[in-house]
Amino acid sequence: MSNRSAMRLIVPATVLALLAAACSSSHNAASTSPSSASASTPVTATSAAAASTSAPAPASAAASATAAASSSTDTEKATINYFTFSAAPDHLSDLNKIVQAFEAANPNITVKVQTAAYADYFTKLSTELAAGTAPDTFELDYQDFVNYASSGSLLSLTGNAYDPAAYTPSSLKAFSYQGSQMALPESFSDVLLFYNKTLFDKAGVAYPTSSWTWTDEMAAAKKLTNKSTGVWGLFQPVTYNEFYKALDQAGGSFLSADGTQATFNSAAGVAAANWLIGKLGTTMPTLTQIGNTPNFDTNLFTNNKLAMWINGNWQFSGLAKMPGWDVVVEPGDTQQASAVFFNGIAASKNTKHPDAALKWLQFMSASQTSVTTRVNSAWELPPITDTSSESSYLTATPPANRQAVFDSLKSPSLGPVIAKQQQMQDIVNNALQNAAAGRSTVQAALDSAATQVTALLK
Amino acid sequence: MPDTSAIASSPTIASYPVVVSSIVRSVPARRHRLPARRVGLVIALSVGAVLMLFPFIWTVVTSISANGSVLSTPRLIPSHVTLAGYRQLFSSTIGVPIIRVVINSLVLALASMVLGVLSSAMAAYAFARLQFRFKNIVFVLYLATLMIPLQVLVVPLFIEMRTFHLVNSYIAVLAPTIASATGVFLIRQAIQTLPTDLDEAATIDGAGHLRIFFSIIVPNVRPALATFAVFAFMASWNNLLWPLVIINSPDHMTLPLALSMLHGEFSTQWNVVMAGSVLSIAPILLLYAFAQKYVVQGMATTGLK
Amino acid sequence: MTTYAGSRRRRGRNAGIVLLFLAPSAIPLLLFTFIPMVTSLWVSLHSWNLLTPMRWVGLRNYSSLLTDGMTRAALLHTLEYIGGYLPLVYAGGLGLAVVLNRRLKGRNFFRSLYFIPVVTSWVVVALTWQWLLSPANGLVNHWLSLIGIHGPGWWASTTWAIPAVILASVWKDIGFVMVILLVGLQGVPQDLLDAARVDGASAWTRFWRITFPLLSPATYFVVVISLINGFQVFDQVYVMTGGGPNNASQTLLLDIYNQTFRYQLVGRASALSWLLFVLVMAVTVVQSRLQKRWVVYA
Repeated sequence: MSNRSAMRLIVPATVLALLAAACSSSHNAASTSPSSASASTPVTATSAAAASTSAPAPASAAASATAAASSSTDTEKATINYFTFSAAPDHLSDLNKIVQAFEAANPNITVKVQTAAYADYFTKLSTELAAGTAPDTFELDYQDFVNYASSGSLLSLTGNAYDPAAYTPSSLKAFSYQGSQMALPESFSDVLLFYNKTLFDKAGVAYPTSSWTWTDEMAAAKKLTNKSTGVWGLFQPVTYNEFYKALDQAGGSFLSADGTQATFNSAAGVAAANWLIGKLGTTMPTLTQIGNTPNFDTNLFTNNKLAMWINGNWQFSGLAKMPGWDVVVEPGDTQQASAVFFNGIAASKNTKHPDAALKWLQFMSASQTSVTTRVNSAWELPPITDTSSESSYLTATPPANRQAVFDSLKSPSLGPVIAKQQQMQDIVNNALQNAAAGRSTVQAALDSAATQVTALLK
Repeated sequence: MPDTSAIASSPTIASYPVVVSSIVRSVPARRHRLPARRVGLVIALSVGAVLMLFPFIWTVVTSISANGSVLSTPRLIPSHVTLAGYRQLFSSTIGVPIIRVVINSLVLALASMVLGVLSSAMAAYAFARLQFRFKNIVFVLYLATLMIPLQVLVVPLFIEMRTFHLVNSYIAVLAPTIASATGVFLIRQAIQTLPTDLDEAATIDGAGHLRIFFSIIVPNVRPALATFAVFAFMASWNNLLWPLVIINSPDHMTLPLALSMLHGEFSTQWNVVMAGSVLSIAPILLLYAFAQKYVVQGMATTGLK
Repeated sequence: MTTYAGSRRRRGRNAGIVLLFLAPSAIPLLLFTFIPMVTSLWVSLHSWNLLTPMRWVGLRNYSSLLTDGMTRAALLHTLEYIGGYLPLVYAGGLGLAVVLNRRLKGRNFFRSLYFIPVVTSWVVVALTWQWLLSPANGLVNHWLSLIGIHGPGWWASTTWAIPAVILASVWKDIGFVMVILLVGLQGVPQDLLDAARVDGASAWTRFWRITFPLLSPATYFVVVISLINGFQVFDQVYVMTGGGPNNASQTLLLDIYNQTFRYQLVGRASALSWLLFVLVMAVTVVQSRLQKRWVVYA
């Protein structure tokens, strides 16, 4: 190979590179520091529009935090973005169906969908919020919601025309902040007791019922555990999410009533932690045996090596082909409590189309189209009061007892939600792991965690 | 086998008379090698290769398995072979125009590779051959660009791109990858091992720096250039965090971004994810196999005359 | 050097040449790395959660980090990682490079095989290693049990989490080091080795007296880059252990990631990044001083 042919490739490339460099440097001259540029509002506003879509800037661009009460009067065209983590990859076509129905009903509004994996979603969302280019509407789970609401990133919906009666009260409450409704609930999922009928039959143990308590659950679990055949009785992850629910079941409370103090190191807290930790090595494998093995518990259950499993209704579709299992409302201790998770949909405070955004929020969360689309495709269920559309979900099998998904809503356990949510979860997870590994007593681990969480509340 | 006679005339040897003489003094003769040892070596290499290959084979096997049969236990023989994973990857149901996405990634990676190799080689030449004030400080400043983690640079960079009106553009994805201190360093090391006699001879013949660079230096550091080309391509091809933040529309997406969206909130279709992984590994392996020719033969064929 | 060296015109031209050669890399680095770096330095003097405006806190982020137990633990884990990773990956890569530089049947095939892990994404690699090193039913502990060793808890053990990460990282990066050193080996003249062999030098002596010194520029590169990257170890920890169990594999970068995108303590994360910067810079400068003693350029 001659040097000349290398030259032929490299010389034009050099020119290109230098050109590119020259172009960028001229841009740079306009703004020397990115942080100072972000302070100047006109730049922010125009670039936000340029960045998001090719939306034509409306005349009434000045969006106020409390948009005027509803209106079907605006005829200007609007394009709004909707950023979501729950649709990809399995329910994109379902979402598209809902979007198309919405656009048909609102010919002046176009919805542009952006998706990201849950693991990446908040990275992108918070970066865009920081740069002032947030999507007009976006999804939030209720645990992360307060962080965004308390930072003033969300459009207040209070005073706007949406029908509060359409949503279940607990779901609306999950997305209200300091008395204002800041997002509309769009879906829920909850945690149940899954059980393997075959293993129960083999061990001659009666199936769980909704009147069971921890005592019944543990007694059955011990009978079902058979280490010689590798069958475990009851598997429950040792995590924050399980802990706050077990705490509810044991009659304790996570925070003091005024929300200024962590109170989960109470006697009920110790009972809850012991309930979780006590199963390790007795009715389920130890943390060491589990290691970080991917899908460890799912594999146990689908391979008929696990009799009872605490998990959510999102597992239904994955277990659709497995025979001989059902679900029941999770047993409590002094009271029943089922973990319920809500997803909501919010509008950005800086959206230029607050009216269009609100219409989309309502349509996505409670319209007949979105409800039936969700129910028919077994996407997460809408938390609406009118359950007449949900019959097809109930009649599908497995599991036979899908009613348990709705029964669980009667005593919902919603974990505490604070602005520093992720830190709180990490602290509690750590304390549980510490106690589980015997590095400290349960009481000491919870005491130390409570001190740290109380510090986060200030 | 590459002909090494060209290297034999290299002045490098002359600079190591000490080494040779010290060997002469210290070691008794022992010439012939047992073929058994060579066989043993190949066996050891093969065992190592199986260990290296295991995840890759598993990726391929998973990609041609039915989704349900995937995660029970890792197996190297699929129970029933199906191309459903690939079909789904290329279908529209995943919401990403996958062919468009692959083309995006290819073009961006190739552009990043060409610009990266060129800009790095030129800077490497300056650091290895030119004399200028504060050279060492400037070089350390180059290395300094590797020392602040991308995680904290992403937000400032995003804000900067927004002021340039470059959010959701190919240029914004490409821009941070067209210069690499790693490349400069790698190629500088290669240039510094070249004897300076050749440049000096060319200077006496009246050649300028550009000519020396293109006709003497570039051909002789081809192994390093080819190696860095692979790394530059790979860095752009595999980049996730920056495209995730800067790209909004599906038609501007890159492959890692599209693949990341195959992970659902609660469940993942592993056969589709693995089909995507195979798709993402293949081009780099091809490029590497191609570049390897230069790694091995570069010195030999161009030679130092 | 020519006799014009002192003339002003010559010096001006030289500056032009230097700029010409540096500009294609310097301008993009300045724009897309240095400016964000300076911004992050500015951010490090603030309290910022990305959502509300920044608030000036001066050096408080730094002072609180210096007394923070978690930061100290993360630094310790990072050093532990580097201490295990660097020697292993270098020795392994060197061995492979030397063996695969021989005239061996199928060596191109082997070179490609050993490069495969380098190009495979951490997501896939992590899944495999989580299985291989699964304490209860992983292959590695199964093999160990065959020779009568009770395998450790790997991911579930506070002692073995970092070694597990090291093992997977060395496995993945060994091909990278191999490739760099292979390039270096192309610069080792075959007839020098042949001459030494004729003179009766053993393979061992030839390697240590000829090959290894001539590889020192490539070795220097591997060590500097591996240290810079090692201090920023992230991907593998993030996907394999998430920093657990009990923060036993929490590294500096994982801490920075958590603080930026999960806790949204961006000012604090930026301050930690700059402390890391100072540390890595110091290590790099010390190395560049020391290299004059052991790196041999032609």
